[in-house]
Amino acid sequence: MPKALSRLLIGALVGLVVLGVIVFFVGNAWFGLPVGAQGPEQPIAFPHTVHAGSVESGGLGLDCTFCHRNVDKGAAATVPSVQQCMFCHSKVTGEGSTSPTALAEITKLRTAAEQGEPISWVRVHRLPDHVQFVHDVHIRYLMESPDVIVNSTPAIRQDGTVDAAQTCSTCHGQVATMAKVKQVRALKMGDCVDCHRANNAPTDCAACHY
Amino acid sequence: MVSTPRERKWQMVVDVDRCTGCQACVVACQAENNIPFNSESHFKQGRTFSWIRIERYWEGEFPDVKARFLPFLCQHCDNAPCEPVCPVFATYHNNEGLNVQVYNRCVGTRFCQNNCPYHARFFNYWEPVWPVQMRNSLNPDVTVRGRGIMEKCTFCVQRIRRAELDAKRQEREVRDGDFQPACAQACPTSALVFGDVKDPQSRIHEGLANKRRFRLREELGTEPNVVYLSKVDSEAKEAAGHA
Repeated sequence: MPKALSRLLIGALVGLVVLGVIVFFVGNAWFGLPVGAQGPEQPIAFPHTVHAGSVESGGLGLDCTFCHRNVDKGAAATVPSVQQCMFCHSKVTGEGSTSPTALAEITKLRTAAEQGEPISWVRVHRLPDHVQFVHDVHIRYLMESPDVIVNSTPAIRQDGTVDAAQTCSTCHGQVATMAKVKQVRALKMGDCVDCHRANNAPTDCAACHY
Repeated sequence: MVSTPRERKWQMVVDVDRCTGCQACVVACQAENNIPFNSESHFKQGRTFSWIRIERYWEGEFPDVKARFLPFLCQHCDNAPCEPVCPVFATYHNNEGLNVQVYNRCVGTRFCQNNCPYHARFFNYWEPVWPVQMRNSLNPDVTVRGRGIMEKCTFCVQRIRRAELDAKRQEREVRDGDFQPACAQACPTSALVFGDVKDPQSRIHEGLANKRRFRLREELGTEPNVVYLSKVDSEAKEAAGHA
């Protein structure tokens, strides 16, 4: 094979590989979940399955709003403070639990409470700074329009509305079945706008960006 | 179905006769909108930020000279010269009469700044920096603008949105007086009045009906949404022989 031709072939091959890598990364960024959304390791292995999981599946069946108290009242969902955890965990120490990790993990929490230290939870769902998202208005809308709720079958009340805690799965997925919380929806602008268009919500830029 | 709110058009009336040039509006605006500090070197380079500023000028000849003040902010023109020149549609007019700047769309061409006859737009030449003590003092409702994008007065759109949300939570419409932009709230002489002209109850109509009304550089046809009321000065009129 002449030298020039083999050089050309090698060049083309390298070019193809580089192009492939670029296409992969751009495609991944475009269609995939944001970087770091695949369920980070938390300082305490908090099991949503135990707290929010249904009673039939061995959980406590707590509503999301039981701990994320501000979610239907204001912009931020709020992660409960250590004090709030201690409402129960001052009594629930994990001793005698069937789970092998419960005692160790709950002890981490109780130690933090004793020392008055907060717990540095790793944030899972993060919108960019230039987006202003308000939880309660979205929840209120979904409570009145249960047919928009996805990822779960909400328990519809007599008057056709649902409880606030039934709406969360639309964006957050079935958190109650996640041992480690991860992001299930892309939550990129296209995602927001699709839903806003479908539900006749404002699509003015200044509705969210200011 | 999301209830569509009543049609709105926000305007501001600036009574120049009431303005004492105290700069309270300027300070309030800087604090509300996460505007970085203007240092001496920024001034020397002509790269300062002030979404609202007090223009001072002199009237009359020495020794009968008088200081005049004119609060200057984005005029939110109906026919805004900044909007058609943006190549990426980062600035546009929304259905509430606001001239909106979308920070995440802006690529920093500065065409809009070039085309603004009021010098109301400001470019971020640097990443904004605040003293460490102010780390927790920024307004969480306002985006911190990074380097390389334009910014300008928003008529405190974050307060409009907040008032709308509060009204929605209480299941009512936004009423006049539910909120004010930071500058109007800070003004000790109430020289700045903000309101919705589509709301017949709004206090803004009092100012709009005033005979002293004028708009800045009206000859350009920009149709500003900020209306000024001219200075009342009987002495000056007497001196000029108008009595």
